Amino acid sequence: MHHELAFLHNYLIVGAMLFGIGAVGFLARRNMIVMFLSAELMLQGVSLSLVALGRFHNDFSGQVLVVFIIAVAACEAAVALALVLALFRRSGKLDIAVWHALREDNQPAFEEPDLPELPAETPGDWPRLTPAGVQPEISPEDTEYRRDV
Amino acid sequence: MFDPIKTLLILIPSLPLAATLLTALLGKRVLRGRSHLPAVLAVAVSCLASLVLLFQMHVEADRATGPGNGEAERAGYERVVTLWNWSTVEGAYRLGGRPGETPIAQPRDFRIDVALRADPLTAVMLATVTFVSLLVTVYSIGYMRSDPGYWRFFTYISLFVFSMTMLVSVNNFILLYVFWEAVGLCSYLLIGFWFQKPEAAAAGKKAFLVNRVGDFGLALGIFLIWTVFGSLDFHDVLGGPGGQTVHDTGHVPGAAITAICLLLFLGACGKSAQFPLHVWLPDAMEGPTPVSALIHAATMVTAGVYLVARCMPLFVASVDAQHVVAAVGGLTALMAALIAVTQTDLKRILAYSTISQLGYMFLALGTATAAGVTAGMFHLFTHAFFKALLFLGAGSVMHATAGVIDVRRLGGLRRRLPTTNWTFLFGCLALAGILPWAGFWSKDLVLLAVGRQTAPLFGVLYVVATLTAFLTAFYAFRAYFLTFYGTSKLPPEAEEKLHESPRVMTVPLVMLAACALVVGAFFELTHLFEDFLERTPSLASASAASGRVVPEATLSQTTVALTSTLVALAGLALAALLYLGSREQLVRRLSDVMDRLGLYRLSHNKFFFDEIYYGLVVAPLKGLARLCNLIDRVLIDGLVNLCGRLPVWDGAMLRPLQNGMTQFYALGMVLGIMVLIAVLLL
Repeated sequence: MHHELAFLHNYLIVGAMLFGIGAVGFLARRNMIVMFLSAELMLQGVSLSLVALGRFHNDFSGQVLVVFIIAVAACEAAVALALVLALFRRSGKLDIAVWHALREDNQPAFEEPDLPELPAETPGDWPRLTPAGVQPEISPEDTEYRRDV
Repeated sequence: MFDPIKTLLILIPSLPLAATLLTALLGKRVLRGRSHLPAVLAVAVSCLASLVLLFQMHVEADRATGPGNGEAERAGYERVVTLWNWSTVEGAYRLGGRPGETPIAQPRDFRIDVALRADPLTAVMLATVTFVSLLVTVYSIGYMRSDPGYWRFFTYISLFVFSMTMLVSVNNFILLYVFWEAVGLCSYLLIGFWFQKPEAAAAGKKAFLVNRVGDFGLALGIFLIWTVFGSLDFHDVLGGPGGQTVHDTGHVPGAAITAICLLLFLGACGKSAQFPLHVWLPDAMEGPTPVSALIHAATMVTAGVYLVARCMPLFVASVDAQHVVAAVGGLTALMAALIAVTQTDLKRILAYSTISQLGYMFLALGTATAAGVTAGMFHLFTHAFFKALLFLGAGSVMHATAGVIDVRRLGGLRRRLPTTNWTFLFGCLALAGILPWAGFWSKDLVLLAVGRQTAPLFGVLYVVATLTAFLTAFYAFRAYFLTFYGTSKLPPEAEEKLHESPRVMTVPLVMLAACALVVGAFFELTHLFEDFLERTPSLASASAASGRVVPEATLSQTTVALTSTLVALAGLALAALLYLGSREQLVRRLSDVMDRLGLYRLSHNKFFFDEIYYGLVVAPLKGLARLCNLIDRVLIDGLVNLCGRLPVWDGAMLRPLQNGMTQFYALGMVLGIMVLIAVLLL
């Protein structure tokens, strides 16, 4: 029994860490895809806890729930990514701060705070792969969308 | 069975009412220039009916109370015609009865019958009112012609005649109050007849408001009558054949009677323009002149006199109230006469003269003797004729001079307006009380009734009344000489259209002049009026109740007649001395002397009553209104607005939360969940 409990703690600790990392990531990052990933991470943290507790209690409802979560997460991923894509198409940016149309009328729009200048990146000697093969043809559509990437 | 008195009683008020409805409905569209027809016809038939009623009453009263009838003679003669029952509350009056206690006396019903009464007092009032109304209505055909409100005028006039005839013929205090207010309404409507004129509108409002004060007293008096007597029927309160009198019930406290009398008299003061509520009547002259003649001289303002005469059994029981009535009457008579001496507006002179003469009537009623009441009512009767005559004469002058009525701007009109001149002269002679004009006889009776009282107060009042008689003759002839004699003076705008009034206006003048000449002598010498009026049940019971033998001062009628004639002639002579012929120097020097004494200004400014009232009543009320306004705007509106502002402020504080930032919202959610978890765990 003691052994089992220690075993469960491991899983729960990992689950909590996953959830925490996801939450912090969701709050701290402005890239929409990363935020989406963070949300998935939270989901997985919860799922892990559920599975572990289901196993610990010898009860399958945790597992069953997780199966559902995975299914829903898949659907959600499709929808969320479609949304991200649509937003990206409209603004050309993945930055979530671009979208603040739902604020009250008299509230100031988000402005990028003046960040301290980053120290100029010293050109380092990054290894580079030698180009190989034929350079793929880039369609005008792609250039339009990827302009700012 | 045909009952002539009943038919007549119903006929007299209902015809003017029908005329009112007809003119109101059809006047503007259909009748237009013929709007006078229904009014004149109705009032004429009413007048005829009133005269027949008067005659019929005389015959019946003679038969019922003739010599040898003993008890009946004491009780007087009356007929009450109950039309229908207006309202009844059973057992409303329980003497000493709080609920649950055994009442001392049998509970009585609160019962209001729509009932008309016919007794000598009513018959005399009806005849006076309808007769003067008829002449004034006919006169108005000429005077109001080409006025855009022609139909409106005749609607109001016939409504007034209806209200006034009802006022004098109803049989209980509630209906009396209803029609008391109705004549007040008519007065308001007719004063403000030319409502586009700001002065007229203001005068109407003033009349209405000042009357409210008096009416409030009347209402309180009626409440008190109900509390004390448990009935509002004239029969039960004032006595009459088969009715109880105050003096039979025996348990009515004297203080209550005095209070009732004073409250009723307050009402009478308001309606009859007695001090201190007289201020509305001079302003009421803004109305059309026939209205001034009919309502504000001959009929409506005498309603107060009628009320006091009608309630004489109550006044008999309260010596204090009698003295108040007499003192107020005497004071008003003198004061108004003093004011009239220096006024320059012909109609205002007449208005103050009306106030003064009404004061005379109250003075006579204040003696509360049979002779006093008869004298007061007789003066009312004659005054109605000669004052209506004077006003209509003034109206005729206005008609001729395009509305100019300032005696300083007029002069020497006697050749241009011959008929107006001599009829006006008749009016002035009657007003001044020169033998044999009507005013002489009635004024003499008043002076005699006052002079025969023994109380010291009446001694003073007798002197006051005699002095007033002098002033009356003076101001009446001052107005007459200034207008009709002297150098021919005319305002330039009236020069070319100066003309004698049309026949329709002069005929009523002539008829009234004839009345002003003969009614006094005829009724006084034949004693018809006196004998007839004393058969009014309330007066009969009053004089019976006052059966205590009042010691009378020995004052012979001849002495009074001589004194009053002498002072009247003196007044006339003084007026002739000052204003006949051009003695402007003398007049100016005299008024300068008076001015130096401060008397002239005092009189010319009407003893500053308007200013005093403005300072004492109007200004504080305005201040109060301003304070209320301030409280309303600051406190009440402030609270209401605060209720609105609070959510606004809340919203303003919470608005920064809605900044549109996804991650800020997410943070909110996380914090919220943390709080929830914390609550759950702790």
